[in-house]
Amino acid sequence: MSITSLSFILFLFICVVLFYLCPVRFRWVVLLVASVVFYAICGAQYLPFICFTTVTVWWAGRRMGKLYEQEAEVLKNLKDRKKKKDVKALYKKECRRTLVLVMVLNIALLCAVKFLKYFVPNINQLLQWSGLLDRLLQGEEFTAAMIIVPLGVSYYTFSTVGYLLDVYWKRYAYEPNLARFALFAIYFPHIVQGPISRYNTLGQELKKELRWDTSRVCKGAELMAWGFFKKLVIADWLNVFVEAVYAGENTAGLVYFVAILFDAVQIYTDFTGYMDIVSGASEIFGVRLEQNFNHPFFSKNVQEFWRRWHMTMGGWFRDYVYKPITVSGWMKGLSKVTRGRLPDALRRYIITAIPILITWFLTGLWHGTGNTYVAWGIYYGVLITLSTICTPGLQSLGRKLRINMEAPSFDVYRMVRMFFLFCGGRLLTRPGSLEMSRQVLYAIFHSFQPWTLWDGTLTTYGLTVPQLILELAAIALLWWVSYHEEHKGPVRDALEQQNLVFRWALLYVLLFAIIIFGCYGPGYDAASFIYAAY
Amino acid sequence: MKELLEILNDLRPDVDFTTAEGIVSDHIIDSIDISSMIAEIEDTFDIEIDMEYMTNENFDTVEALWAMIQELQE
Repeated sequence: MSITSLSFILFLFICVVLFYLCPVRFRWVVLLVASVVFYAICGAQYLPFICFTTVTVWWAGRRMGKLYEQEAEVLKNLKDRKKKKDVKALYKKECRRTLVLVMVLNIALLCAVKFLKYFVPNINQLLQWSGLLDRLLQGEEFTAAMIIVPLGVSYYTFSTVGYLLDVYWKRYAYEPNLARFALFAIYFPHIVQGPISRYNTLGQELKKELRWDTSRVCKGAELMAWGFFKKLVIADWLNVFVEAVYAGENTAGLVYFVAILFDAVQIYTDFTGYMDIVSGASEIFGVRLEQNFNHPFFSKNVQEFWRRWHMTMGGWFRDYVYKPITVSGWMKGLSKVTRGRLPDALRRYIITAIPILITWFLTGLWHGTGNTYVAWGIYYGVLITLSTICTPGLQSLGRKLRINMEAPSFDVYRMVRMFFLFCGGRLLTRPGSLEMSRQVLYAIFHSFQPWTLWDGTLTTYGLTVPQLILELAAIALLWWVSYHEEHKGPVRDALEQQNLVFRWALLYVLLFAIIIFGCYGPGYDAASFIYAAY
Repeated sequence: MKELLEILNDLRPDVDFTTAEGIVSDHIIDSIDISSMIAEIEDTFDIEIDMEYMTNENFDTVEALWAMIQELQE
């Protein structure tokens, strides 16, 4: 069921009615049932996978929690420091075993569903050799299409593994109730493409007394409408243009350049549009989802960009990959061994680069398994490493050259620079192959053909002149909203101060704009949110 | 406490750690120096700082750091 379909709106409406008809203490059960139904509608064959992850992770969390409780009891009666240390080590070891077992199982499952498609010939050989091909597939060949990729598998695996690590690190207590934990894992607004929720935030939100609040429900509906506008009026129309450009041949450099700019806006509006729809839907139930975007195109450097773009993924890799690597035994060892032996600057470069490059290599793999995503991960790893290492030197150079780095114009330069760096990253993945990316760059630098801007060429890629004007106007509106939110706070809060008539009129305008200008052409697949594929 | 201050001053001689707040969250000690600092603290005080102690609250002031070290020594 696509989030942008009428069937989803109907499903949500039924859920909201049942939710508020139910007594407060059972409302979370309505959400659990609704989430399971939603997941089953999307594909009943996915259910065993998410059930496996939910049950194994919940069991491991409970087992570790109980072991820590026993440890606390034993330590209470001990005075000797050595004995205390031994007891702690013993319980830690036992918890680590449980953690590793369940983490390996679930990450192996995630890797299997994501990477198996690359090993189809080997699997066929293995099945043939073992005689299982005839028995299991009646002699037919195993194909990539037979691999079941459960809906939101990356998102729920990361959310639940995060919970497991937090319990292991004693950041918070385990969840004793399997049904409560299942709701955290499968909660339908965040299951398709995030946010990658933390148990100590979403889990606690779902435990609140979820009561009706007219103002909050209205704000949720407004956010949903804005999300639909971003997805259907901006992202999907820009997608028509970008797809057509990358499918074409002998394309002018300028057309590619416009496609790169449109693609950046498209992925932003596609992903944030989805986030606004599901966050708004969740707000209607009184459950606040974690913020996943904070106007990333206002970022002035690459580190800031990744603190504002897909924030829950960035936070996950920071807390569960980057930090553990930074403070791991071998990094501490490396730091100690190199101290005094290597020049300080070189030592700092090495210690900075290793955790960043490993983290970004893995982030690239999370997004996709082809060489384009590996290149993308390395691209950001190198950019962040260079930015971390070079910033102090560049600032000092700027001061020597008497450049006013506090001036608004300098901020604009840094934002534009960051936008083009982001476009560079997209250029590695969007065209489909690194060879195609090279061709695009070649065309931009060798065959720019500026006259294609006004000779009508741009209108041969699926969008007419009025549609192009509409897109530019919608992008201008998007920019104004972002600017307002960046400098003056949420637009929805400002709207709340306005008269009710004005608010309703604005909502109707937005709804009519979505209905009239939304992209619903033949063959359009409303389900194809970009990040749902990750 | 004196030994802890020596470790910190060795990393950033220009900072008065007795009054500093936000040692980690305000990047007074950056991520590059954190692994060095932890390695030094572990060696000096014969403790092991697990990930469960790696929170900004434990590292933001010298008092919090000292309290964590004492807890780990118990």
